[in-house]
Amino acid sequence: MQTRWDIGEPEKPTINQDTEQLKSELLVLNMGPQHPATHGVLRIEIWTDSEIVAHAIPHVGYLHRCMEKHAENIDFRGIIPFVDRLDYLAAMNMEWTYAAALEKMLGTEVPRRAELLRILTCELQRIASHLMAFGTYALDLGAFTPFLYAFDYREKILRLFEEVSGARLLYNYIWIGGLWNDWTNEQLERVSAFCDDMEEEAKKYHELVSMNKIFIERTANVGVMNIDDCLTYGASGPVLRGAGMKWDLRKNEPYSLYSEFDFDIPVGEAEHGVVGDCWNRYMVRMKEVVQSIRIIRQVIEKLEPGPIMGKVPKVLKLPEGEIYVRHECPRGELAFHLVTKQDEKMPYRLKVKSPCFTHVSMLPHVAPGQMIADFVATVGSIDIVLGEVDR
Amino acid sequence: MSAQVHQTSSLKEYFAALASGVFTSLKGMWITFRYVWAVKPVSIEYPEVREVLPDRARMRLFNDVQNCISCTQCAMACPVDCIYIASEKFPEGTEIKKTSNGQPIRLHLTQFTIDTALCCYCGLCTTVCPTECLTHSHDFEFSAYTIDQMKYDYLAPDIIAWRDRIVKS
Repeated sequence: MQTRWDIGEPEKPTINQDTEQLKSELLVLNMGPQHPATHGVLRIEIWTDSEIVAHAIPHVGYLHRCMEKHAENIDFRGIIPFVDRLDYLAAMNMEWTYAAALEKMLGTEVPRRAELLRILTCELQRIASHLMAFGTYALDLGAFTPFLYAFDYREKILRLFEEVSGARLLYNYIWIGGLWNDWTNEQLERVSAFCDDMEEEAKKYHELVSMNKIFIERTANVGVMNIDDCLTYGASGPVLRGAGMKWDLRKNEPYSLYSEFDFDIPVGEAEHGVVGDCWNRYMVRMKEVVQSIRIIRQVIEKLEPGPIMGKVPKVLKLPEGEIYVRHECPRGELAFHLVTKQDEKMPYRLKVKSPCFTHVSMLPHVAPGQMIADFVATVGSIDIVLGEVDR
Repeated sequence: MSAQVHQTSSLKEYFAALASGVFTSLKGMWITFRYVWAVKPVSIEYPEVREVLPDRARMRLFNDVQNCISCTQCAMACPVDCIYIASEKFPEGTEIKKTSNGQPIRLHLTQFTIDTALCCYCGLCTTVCPTECLTHSHDFEFSAYTIDQMKYDYLAPDIIAWRDRIVKS
């Protein structure tokens, strides 16, 4: 069998003994690029034996926008709107990672209020992103209503972001050295009211989806990515934590002010299946929502009036050097590798390390032997955003 | 290759799983059913009912050309280069006008066009504007049939006439 990626031939093309005796041929099935289960424009070439996946080859690049090359021709502030478009469901986290890389290079002191508000917005964004993951995952598995509930609550977060930054999805809110606008006390009160509502809502989601027997049967023991696979491929975020490894950059390598906060890292437990299956990855996300609410409440307690913008020169000129900054984003560790030249207004190179790309590359490893419906559940559970995979 | 866990179940387990499937689904349906009377509808019937946009909402750009000093800072800040500005010197002896915040207008603006099809609504151009004449309006309904119609020339008389409608108060 000819494969475009050198991932080895499948050891046994058919796993069904009966069909092997019949010498059946494998059927090539293209899932995507326009397929609702692939969450964007991802094409997966599936070699199937009846309904069993023998081989799955993801083809990426349908959303490639030359962001890395394009960034070499724009000034440092102008890159932020492009960075937004990497992971468009968690644009705040992308902006923060990029801004943190530049601030580290410039040696800028970010005011305390700005740092706290960054944590607040990014945790809200994490909730919004996980709600989206929850809604679309239920949609993949055939439940439509949870999607509407999730979007109702996601909408509340987006409305807050719209009031504070001016846009609903691509904010350009976190700037180099601080923030664009300040939050008013009235908005912060609405955030804490939202946190109370969200806690109740999360319980409803558990009753609606997590405890549903059909959902458990569809996800438990399906698409197992065990800890060895995760470490070999370099997975991060909920995929790694779902496999049982307690690794979260906010706790293990605290950046910003995260060391001041009290929160737990949820990890996958073998509650219904084995550790590292789709159910665990889903559950880690749902538990992270509750932890984010805890962080947001602590931020609101700690907030004090103050400046929100540090001292940054009007025309940014960075010293020559390179830096690698990674942050914990909703989908895993996102990192920027920034190389600059002396007295240049643009970066020499901006490399993005995206977590979703790693997770997509794990699919050929997990897929063989699954039913096609289970494969859909696996693709949904890693929660990919193609803007980040293709860049 | 990942190991698939195949479970075999007895008849009792089979029916127990079936019962729990029905029971938990009914529980979920009850949550949804409560929405019939206990929860207000959240959808907004858009063309008839409109949400009030927040003050900072970034919609179509509008340039108040009477206050523009042709400094081209917005065009330089734009990451997608969608602002086209042309200007020329006033003939000698012309009286120099002033903008509303007191800056002298030294150049005669001959073209100020924004290609809204290219614009990414990031708001970087409005933050650098020294006279605050370039602003985001709250007008978001401007779909057009051809891409040329998305280019807005702010010196055109009809847009100047619309000023009161689309400028943020």
